[in-house]
Amino acid sequence: MVFAVVLLGAGAFFTVSALRLRRWALIGHAEDRTNDPATRTKNLLLIGIAQTKIMRDGFGGLMHALVFWGFCVLALGALEILIQGLVDGFSYAWLLPRPLFVVYVLSQEIFCGLVLLAVGWLFYRRLVIKPARFAGDPVHGGDALFILSMITVLMVTLLLTFAMEIHAGASAAGHILSAPIAMLLGGLSSDAAHVLGRTSWWIHALGLLAFANYLPFSKHLHVLTSLINTWYSNTSGPGRIGAMRPMDLEAEDAEQFGAADVEHLSWKNLMDGYSCTECGRCTAACPANITGKKLSPRMIVVKTRARLTEKATVLDAVGGGTATMEQQAVLDKNLLDDWITEEELWACTSCRACVEECPVSIDQLDIINELRRDLVLMESRFPEEAQGALTSLERNGSPWAYSAADREAWTEGLDIPTMADMVAREERPDILFWVGCMGSFDDRAKKITVAFARILQAANVKFAILGQEETCHGDPARRMGNEYLYQMLAKGVIETLDGYQVKTVVTFCPHCFHQMGNEFPDLGGHYEVIHHTDYIERLLNEGRVPLNTEHGQRLKVAYHDSCYLGRYNDIYDSPRNSIRKALPVVTLVEPPRTKSRGLCCGAGGGRMWMEETEGKRVNVERTEELLATGADTIAVACPFCMTMMTDGLTASGSEVPVLDVSEVVAGQLRV
Amino acid sequence: MKIAVCIKRVPVMEVKFAITADKSRYEETGLKYDINDFDLWAIEAALQLKEKAGTGSVHVVCVGPNAAQEQIRKAMAMGADSGALLETDTRNYDGLAVARVLAAELKDGGYDLVLFGRIAIDSMNQMTGPMVAELLDMPVVTNVFKLDINGATGRAERVLEGASEVVEFPLPAVLTIDDGLNKERLPSLKGIMAAKKKPLEVKPANLGDAAVTVRSMALPAERAAGRIVGEGADAVPELVRLLQTEAKVL
Repeated sequence: MVFAVVLLGAGAFFTVSALRLRRWALIGHAEDRTNDPATRTKNLLLIGIAQTKIMRDGFGGLMHALVFWGFCVLALGALEILIQGLVDGFSYAWLLPRPLFVVYVLSQEIFCGLVLLAVGWLFYRRLVIKPARFAGDPVHGGDALFILSMITVLMVTLLLTFAMEIHAGASAAGHILSAPIAMLLGGLSSDAAHVLGRTSWWIHALGLLAFANYLPFSKHLHVLTSLINTWYSNTSGPGRIGAMRPMDLEAEDAEQFGAADVEHLSWKNLMDGYSCTECGRCTAACPANITGKKLSPRMIVVKTRARLTEKATVLDAVGGGTATMEQQAVLDKNLLDDWITEEELWACTSCRACVEECPVSIDQLDIINELRRDLVLMESRFPEEAQGALTSLERNGSPWAYSAADREAWTEGLDIPTMADMVAREERPDILFWVGCMGSFDDRAKKITVAFARILQAANVKFAILGQEETCHGDPARRMGNEYLYQMLAKGVIETLDGYQVKTVVTFCPHCFHQMGNEFPDLGGHYEVIHHTDYIERLLNEGRVPLNTEHGQRLKVAYHDSCYLGRYNDIYDSPRNSIRKALPVVTLVEPPRTKSRGLCCGAGGGRMWMEETEGKRVNVERTEELLATGADTIAVACPFCMTMMTDGLTASGSEVPVLDVSEVVAGQLRV
Repeated sequence: MKIAVCIKRVPVMEVKFAITADKSRYEETGLKYDINDFDLWAIEAALQLKEKAGTGSVHVVCVGPNAAQEQIRKAMAMGADSGALLETDTRNYDGLAVARVLAAELKDGGYDLVLFGRIAIDSMNQMTGPMVAELLDMPVVTNVFKLDINGATGRAERVLEGASEVVEFPLPAVLTIDDGLNKERLPSLKGIMAAKKKPLEVKPANLGDAAVTVRSMALPAERAAGRIVGEGADAVPELVRLLQTEAKVL
């Protein structure tokens, strides 16, 4: 009877907390996250139940996974305990056939033991190993120790409860841990055993209720929300998953563009805040953070939740009434500036390493992008150096102030037709070679352009370029938050492409590749866009590239993954395969951070056009990692990476050459 | 503080210009246009003065073709309150004709300040500002790179060759703004949306007969390719000789 009242009270309190959290999250704007149940189920099973992302952290990940699985299995036992409080002596033995019941008991015992082992190790890690990622940010480390202690108490009292039941004569079948404990405590009088058993039971039962009610107020809320968060995560698949949120600039009544405060974010962004347990995997993978910038993706999420709590608490208190001066002061604050600074936001290279690492499918980058949009679209605030790029994009259709007339300067002597030439001859190319601004104007990148064009010519591919009709698609502007300029430029490009009825586009710039292939569809541009590494691999597989296989150099190549190719589009193999196929004797070496864990070159997210004065330079950090592999050549598949790696090598005083994958292949052409 | 800013629509310079067959003008196809850079700084100066004063208005005036509404809207997106286009299709190199049209427009406006960019990057005459000042009978300060307005007087620093000069002037006055006073703001989307609703008056301008006409126009001569004279100390005498006789820089 006493327990029934406690249970009812705890249940009511928990419900109130849960409903409050739901109401707060709905301060965010609406967003449909119900499409594609198949992918959602897959994410739930793999990332949620099978814990694939948490396992990226090796042994620590496995330990945490044990606690999670233990939590799932022991939840059954918790239910049994709670029913016992209402129905004296209740046991699943009443419902289950005997063998099944013993299996159930065994499962409880096994996981109780595993959880205790895992928790022991997690204590050891927090107190003795102290991984760097737990420190650094002002997060709730004490909270973690508290929760580990609580789990320990729950496990120990559960085993003691079982043991004392056995002491009183219950069957020991399946009780592989508590039976030995009962034996150890065999000397206890039956009264003492009864008291110990009942006390353990009460501590366990009340502990469960306290635990559940503590969660909504702690960083361990993820226990309740992570599976839900994973279910509602972005399911749009490779490429589309990194596409920025579409934005309707023509909406008549729109008064806010981007996010300055929590209500401008979506409910999912806010739920991300609930799901973060401050583990720091994102921050440990962040190129800006690694090199000493102020940005910590973890803090972006932690601050979002803190601001939501701050604001929503006041909103609740004010209700329909008038806010006091103090309350108004809190309401007048913003997530932007008062919690998250401009400096943090501009440090982001949009490399997606944080999103990739998060075990509970939080999208830190989405929040950063929305805040950047507010800065630029609402307030015209951005690093001064970026203004040149934005002005040039507007005036010249390129982030660099070059004349469109120079776009085809690289074709001199190469006999490269433009689309206009082809149309004039009443011909149609199989592919449009999208050169990109770097490929057109940057002296180093122009060599990549020529190398790729030579491969296309050697393979007898019928292709054309746009020449002077090519302009930037606006991706740099979009990444810097200038959606207006982006849409203007992107729509212009789509008009040009549609004018020539272009179907297939091949480009060597991963940013062009991502933008045109994955983000143009939102503006009505639908093309098959292929990255040159995929295209070269295809040509090599078809045996269409005449290669000089005898005089292959013996090279040791470290391939540096481009973020927009790898994490954004899941292309990791074709650059490597192309190198292997073109060079008969080659050793591909990998730095510790590679493929989906590859470190950004530092140029993404518009960083290409901003100064990097704080901390170490990202490209230097990355170049050092690549050089440490002992490679004699560094291969890239992105003109931005090319610039950053080349500069990084110069800074390190190294003479190791940087080659684009197409240059590696073109170097082997039999011509 | 009531400020007028006179702006000019000019071609974006990062393109290759071509001259028409009759050599009277440059080809306009393929050109893009923007506000003259120096005028952007004049707009920025006006906006900052208004913001500092906390009150006032910024009015933008442009003599140009109908399409120049685009540039006026941009100025409004930056923050100007209103604009007027004095429409003409004449491409006029006669600064005085333009100055007369502007002065007539500004005469009864009661402006405390009339700002110009120091120079238009296409015609490079730098005469319209001072001419308007003369026609309006106002003091003029040219090449301003530092500015401080205090009540009815102003104090400005002017760029001189290798030096600067501080001058004081009473308001109302005409100023021409130089590089270095400020960095213009980029319009925010919010500003662009707001600009669509701001008042823009379009009226025909009669420039009359031009006192100056362009007879011929030519592109600068192509730069000759660099020449390597030789290597090491042996090449120095020949290099010096060429610098003296050919390049004539020594």
